[in-house]
Amino acid sequence: MSVGLDTTGPSRVPYYLRKNVIAGLMFIAVAALGLFLSRNYPVGTALRMGTGYVPRLLCWVLGGLGVLSVIQGVLVPGESVISEDASSPWRPIAFVTLSILIFAFTIETLGVVIATALLVVIGALAGRDLRPLEVALTGIVLIVLTVATFVWGLGLTIPIWPEW
Amino acid sequence: MPEIFQNLALGFSVAMTPANLGFALVGCLVGTLIGVLPGIGPVATVAMLLPLTFYLEPTSGLIMLAGIFYGAQYGGSTTAILVNLPGETSSVVTCIDGHQMAKQGRAGAALATAALGSFFAGCVSTLLIALFSPPLAKVGQSFGAPEYFSLMALGLIAAVVLAHGSVMKAVAMVILGLLLGLVGTDGNTGGQRFTFGLVTLADGIGFVPVAIGVFGVGEIIANLVRGEETRSLVQTKITRLWPTKEEFKLAWPAVVRGTSLGSILGVLPGGGAVLSSFAAYAFEKKIARDPSRFGRGAIEGVAGPESANNAGAQTSFIPMLTLGLPGNAVMALMIGALTIHGIQPGPQVMTERPTLFWGMIASMWIGNLMLVIINLPLIGIWVQLLKVPYRVLYLAILLFCAIGVYTVGNNTLDVIITAIFGVLGYVFIRLECEPAPMLLGFVLGPLMEENLRRAMRISGGDPMIFVNRPISLGLLIAAAILLVIVAVPAIRSKREEAFQES
Repeated sequence: MSVGLDTTGPSRVPYYLRKNVIAGLMFIAVAALGLFLSRNYPVGTALRMGTGYVPRLLCWVLGGLGVLSVIQGVLVPGESVISEDASSPWRPIAFVTLSILIFAFTIETLGVVIATALLVVIGALAGRDLRPLEVALTGIVLIVLTVATFVWGLGLTIPIWPEW
Repeated sequence: MPEIFQNLALGFSVAMTPANLGFALVGCLVGTLIGVLPGIGPVATVAMLLPLTFYLEPTSGLIMLAGIFYGAQYGGSTTAILVNLPGETSSVVTCIDGHQMAKQGRAGAALATAALGSFFAGCVSTLLIALFSPPLAKVGQSFGAPEYFSLMALGLIAAVVLAHGSVMKAVAMVILGLLLGLVGTDGNTGGQRFTFGLVTLADGIGFVPVAIGVFGVGEIIANLVRGEETRSLVQTKITRLWPTKEEFKLAWPAVVRGTSLGSILGVLPGGGAVLSSFAAYAFEKKIARDPSRFGRGAIEGVAGPESANNAGAQTSFIPMLTLGLPGNAVMALMIGALTIHGIQPGPQVMTERPTLFWGMIASMWIGNLMLVIINLPLIGIWVQLLKVPYRVLYLAILLFCAIGVYTVGNNTLDVIITAIFGVLGYVFIRLECEPAPMLLGFVLGPLMEENLRRAMRISGGDPMIFVNRPISLGLLIAAAILLVIVAVPAIRSKREEAFQES
């Protein structure tokens, strides 16, 4: 949990890269989106609260906190979101997300065996060193385990193979 | 007093049925298994295995979940001592002296101290839960809507104050969670909120996809970005398992101190295992006659925090079981599990479902006993598990996350939501926004809105109702005091210190 100070020092971090600034912007964006989506929700009164009363209230508070966080981030030097000891996050983000999405889209149509195989193979691309044989073995073991626990064990009604 | 024994007897009669013993054992085993593996914490573990328990009846399901939870705590310390990698955040401090002991060939003593200290703490805190739950539930039953609203506000604020990191960002995360909790159909007016016109979102965002996405998938992405860590498994054979006489003399008072500290901190919202273990380590170091021994294999540095984290983990069940108030992310998951089983968490659980309530408490003690037995003789097997590289492990976790979410409602949209929250979870980690307060807000959001509306209807729209009722006022004052306290610079630095002990 301790923060390793880099040689450049937190004061040298441009303010638009500071964690607090970006976090604040994120909160502001969510609040703005919430306010936009709820623009037509009836607000009502405190006595008879409408659908929009609590959500809009919360959005305003969230936006306010976001602004405060940005101000604090600009005034007080903080850490950068870009750290030198971590690799680029895009590869894990892309392939982990993709593997889950493909699983979601294939499980009901192509069955649990193919969906699991796809998840394992695409998920493996998220890692840095890819070892095809190891991935294949892991995939086979996981497919057997999944079918055994979820389909035979718990009796879920998931197709094992594609239904032609 | 005899009532307690009656209640506990009822509890043991439920927990000792072969089926429930089996579920407790399975929970403990699976919890230990996953707890031993670094890179996946108790929150993710419980979230991932949550769907499995939906197939059981509520009592058995909760017994198994509780087993998973403290199994993960136990397993975490094993990794900390042998590999110098905390399996869980709550065993971060155990690494410091535990791994030093292992390097000096005293791994057995460290492991035994951790296990026995935890067992002692587990016994004491189980008794505390049995003693304090009924009176607390009684207080809870006298609460009206305004009191409940104020109580939840206090709970959320305390959770923020006691969590680590920036308070302001944590408050914002709570609000974000509250907002996410509102997605779906408004129960009072029937209006749709933030559903994007999707029918499946009309029931709200599922609790399981959010928890698994943020704590399971988000962690995987973070671990992959961070890259494989180097593990230094202590290769020396674990020869003697028992501490020497001198070690025992040093360890047992630390166990008692850790248990007391952990029991108190666990009850506080935002408390629980992590805070307890950090505080206990700092405390042991402070009162030691020779503090320089710490960091070089002081047995108190293992005994104190390990007892404290187990005590804290267990007493955090007290506010959850009696008031329906989750103090930390795992308790939020428990509340979610109860709700999915159709049980409204709150003080009525104890009176309406005594077998569930007392059965679960009794099973905690049984689970602790099982863990000592599982852990000490089987330590060799757990160590073998550490040889599984993360590049294989995360694929299994990923698959389990995806299929677990799918099985909750046979709904592919839930799986897609999990993927989205996985990315969000990673963003939160990167921006140092604690996801635990968000989960608390998410669980409490709909309840808070409901109580706010009821309170407003009682008072005719006058917000002064929260101040005019003495209990509600007291709770709000406590919340305000907490907020002021963190704002005081001197205390703030102390708070940061407590979380950076190492």
